[in-house]
Order: sequence, then C-alpha cells, then structure tokens
Amino acid sequence: MRRLEYVVTTAAQGFWRNPVMSLASTFTVGLMLLLFAFFLATDRGLQAAVGVLESKVELALFLEDDARVSDVLDLRARIEADPAVSRVDYVTKEQAMARLVDIAAKRPDIQIVDTSENPLQASLEVKLAHAQDAPRVTAALREEIGKGVVSDVVDNPQVVDKLLTITRVLSFGGLAVLAMMLIVALFVIVNTIRIAVHARRDEIEIMKLVGATDWFVRWPFILEGMLVGALGAMAATAVVLVAAGPVMNAMVSFIEILPLSFGTTFVWQLVGSVFALALAVGGGGAMLSVRAHLAK
Amino acid sequence: MVALLGRGNQLITLDDVSKRYPNGTDALRDVDLEIDSGDFVFLVGSSGAGKSSLIRLLIREELPSSGRVWVDGQDVVRMKHSAVPKLRRRVGVVFQDFKLLPRKTVAENVGFALLVTGHSGEEAREETERALALVGLSQRRGHFPDQLSGGEKQRTAIARALVSRPKILIADEPTGNLDPVTSWEIIKLLVRVNELGTTLLMATHNAEIVNALRRRVVHLDHGMVVRDEREGQYAA
Repeated sequence: MRRLEYVVTTAAQGFWRNPVMSLASTFTVGLMLLLFAFFLATDRGLQAAVGVLESKVELALFLEDDARVSDVLDLRARIEADPAVSRVDYVTKEQAMARLVDIAAKRPDIQIVDTSENPLQASLEVKLAHAQDAPRVTAALREEIGKGVVSDVVDNPQVVDKLLTITRVLSFGGLAVLAMMLIVALFVIVNTIRIAVHARRDEIEIMKLVGATDWFVRWPFILEGMLVGALGAMAATAVVLVAAGPVMNAMVSFIEILPLSFGTTFVWQLVGSVFALALAVGGGGAMLSVRAHLAK
Repeated sequence: MVALLGRGNQLITLDDVSKRYPNGTDALRDVDLEIDSGDFVFLVGSSGAGKSSLIRLLIREELPSSGRVWVDGQDVVRMKHSAVPKLRRRVGVVFQDFKLLPRKTVAENVGFALLVTGHSGEEAREETERALALVGLSQRRGHFPDQLSGGEKQRTAIARALVSRPKILIADEPTGNLDPVTSWEIIKLLVRVNELGTTLLMATHNAEIVNALRRRVVHLDHGMVVRDEREGQYAA
C-alpha cells in the first residue's frame, strides 16, 4: 500500500513538473486515440453498410413463359442447396405486374397505359449471403439459359465489385493507418518519458545507490506514461461523445443505408477499446524508455 | 585467506581482485584485502590509484575482471542482479559531491532512502529523526540543500547513508569539498558513527586527518595495495 502511495505520488509529480511536455504528449496521444475511435466507428458503420448492401445483393432468373412448374420448382430446390444462397423467391407474372403497378403509382414519370396483356416474365429472385459469391453463383446459373426454363440471368456486378473493394480498402488501409498512428504515439510517449527520466536522473542514481529495486525505479515512470494515455483517452472520449450525435445524423442523412444508431453497447466497447489502447501505449512506451535508461 | 572466507569477523573480503577497463587501463591489480566488522580503514593513494574503482566493486556498480569480492558474507560477483538492492541497503555510501536532491528538504533527502526501499512514511519519519539527531541536523530538517553549508550538506548525506542502519559506511573523499575546520567536524562524526558499531571505509587525500587519527591505512598505488598498516600514516 505504502509502495503504491509512493509510486502514484511520484508519477503525478513527474507529470506536473514538466507540464508543457506532458500536455503536448497528452494532446498527441488524444489525437491518435480520436483517430482510432473514428476508425472503429467508421469500420462499424461500413460493416453495417456492407451487411445491408450484401442483403440486397440478388440475382434475377427470368423464366420462359412456357416453363413447366415442376422444372421451376426443381431448379429452385437446386439453387437453394447452394450454401452461398440465403433465399430464393418465386415471383409469378401476376406478382411482377402488381409490383410494376405499385411503382407506377408512386412515380409520376411512369405511366401504365394498357394492362390487358402482361408482357412481364415470371422470375426466381436469388438472395446471396455474401457478396463475394455473386460471380460464381451467376456463372453457374447462366448455364441454365437455353435449357427450357431460364431465359435470362440478371445481376448487378458493379454494386458487388464496389462493395468488395470498400471492404478490402477498409481492412488493409484502416489497419495500416492505425499502425502508423500507433507508432507515432509510441514515439511521442517514449520521448516524453525519456525527458522525464533525464530530468530525474540524479534521483534515479540515488535510488539505485540506496538499494531501490529496478521495479521501484520503473513504476512511477510507467504510471506517468499511463497517466498521459488515460488523460488522452479522456479527451478523445469527450470529443467522441460530444461529436457523435451531430456526425452520426450528418452521415445518416448523407448515406441513407447506414444504421441509425451504434447503440449503447458499441459506445461502451469503443470507450473501453480507447482506454485499453491508451494505457497499453502509455505504459508500454514508458517501459521501453526507462528500460533503456536502466540498462545503461 | 580464501579458507577463512565466510568465517571469522571479516565484513569485506577481496581475493586476488583485478579490474581492467575496456580502454586497457588497469584500475586494480591482484588486490587482496580483508576488513573486519567494526574497523575504521583509510584508503589512501593518489588520483587514479584505484580507490574509487574498489568502492564501485563493493557496491556492485562494477564487476571485477577477475577475483572474488565478498561483502557481509555475500559473493558480490556471483550474486543475482535482483539481489543487488539488498546489498546496497547494507552498505551506506557518501560522496565528495554530496549527491543531495535540490528540491527536497534535509528530512526528505534522508527519508527518501527509506521510502524508495519500501518503508512506510511513519517508519521513514522516525528513522530520519534518529539519523538527523545523530549528525546534529534536527534543527535544519526543513531546509533545502542550497540553504546549507558544505559541512551540513555532507552531514545530510551521512544521515541518508545511515538511515537504513547499514553495517558498512563507505565515504569516498567526504572532506574533499570542505574547509579544514568543517572537515574535522565530519571526521569526528564519522569516528562517532564507527564507535557506535558501523564499519567505516574512507577514501581520502587528507594526510593531516589520516596521520592524526592513526587508524588502519591501506595505500593503493597504480591499482596495487602497496602498504597496509594497523595504525598507519598517510606516507611511509
């Protein structure tokens, strides 16, 4: 308990004895954590968007007017057996016409002049579980054309491709940026603690001379690094909480497919991740710095 | 000599110790030395004779190139790194330049040695008062180093070295920065500390003090022990 008291007091003194450097590193770490939080929130939002878009990825198999119902049902069963397929809906000619009438009622630029004859084809609408399976499933289904049941297969390769590109860029680009920010933050912490160690080199020399253990020398600095991290995390969290509402509203109105809210659980996860990273970077950076000094 | 190690009354033993620095300088050469518990020993010799190197070996700031060193029954050369702090708590050291922390008061400088070795604030306060009373600085406990005279600074450093009740006090040129009158005050204090049971090893250039006290004198020259006399003089 008394050791803890000493370590905590010394760490706090260390922080306030060099306020300019401490606050500068707190600001840098806070900025890094803010970017980290932004990355996590964006990742979460885009993952949700990808989920929404993926659920919209579907293929349409237009059926010959004279296709036999048993053949259509057989084809449907074969398609449903594919694990990449999440759902297959059979849309009759009448249902297709009803949809068109519905759409026409909402849009003044479409007008249906004659409903006496139904030119629309019946179709099978295939919903996919994952966007990346679309090319393979489409190719397989195209082979059904000309066998008396399927007249055409329509997909939307551009949407699928864009979706896959976004996911890849997000994974690799985001991680790369995060890694760079992490290195910068670590560098700043290491230098801040190095200055603190240098300022207290006489004290460290005497501590070692009178028989203080390495850990006793190290802990105040590690705690000081963690203090810098924690204050940075608090600042970043405050900015995130203040800005979250307006930014989210702006994003929702800009990209309508985004989910409306991240939810309380995600906010706590975000805060937890920010603090965990802050303490790890602060404590780890300080440990690196003071270890290098003690090894001299 | 080696057969007696760990037995008898020796508190410090150096057995055939040599120290060569990477630049090729031989700081110590084949040094054999035994210091008994309760001894008061002057370590004399010109600058570069090896006095400071010998002191650094005793607190394991450095390791010898060859030979063995025992302090208070412990093999200093072979001890684990984690055992070094405990060794240093049993060996108090004072230096010519005092090594006081300028932003701490006299009492804080002394108590610091206990606080950083895990003692409670209460223990530190009690032991600090005892040590300050011993060196005659109780009235100056709230002063900062820059408000003290050279002698008072050295007495603070001695109090810090004694506060953890070490068995050995090593003084490396403790009067080197002090005027003759103050030097004598410090020496009287060290004699008193020795009379209270602490073994004393003092490196010095001060011939007057060495000759007046007539204690054991170990003379180092070019890293070798050239003279070791029970009631010695500075120069032969």
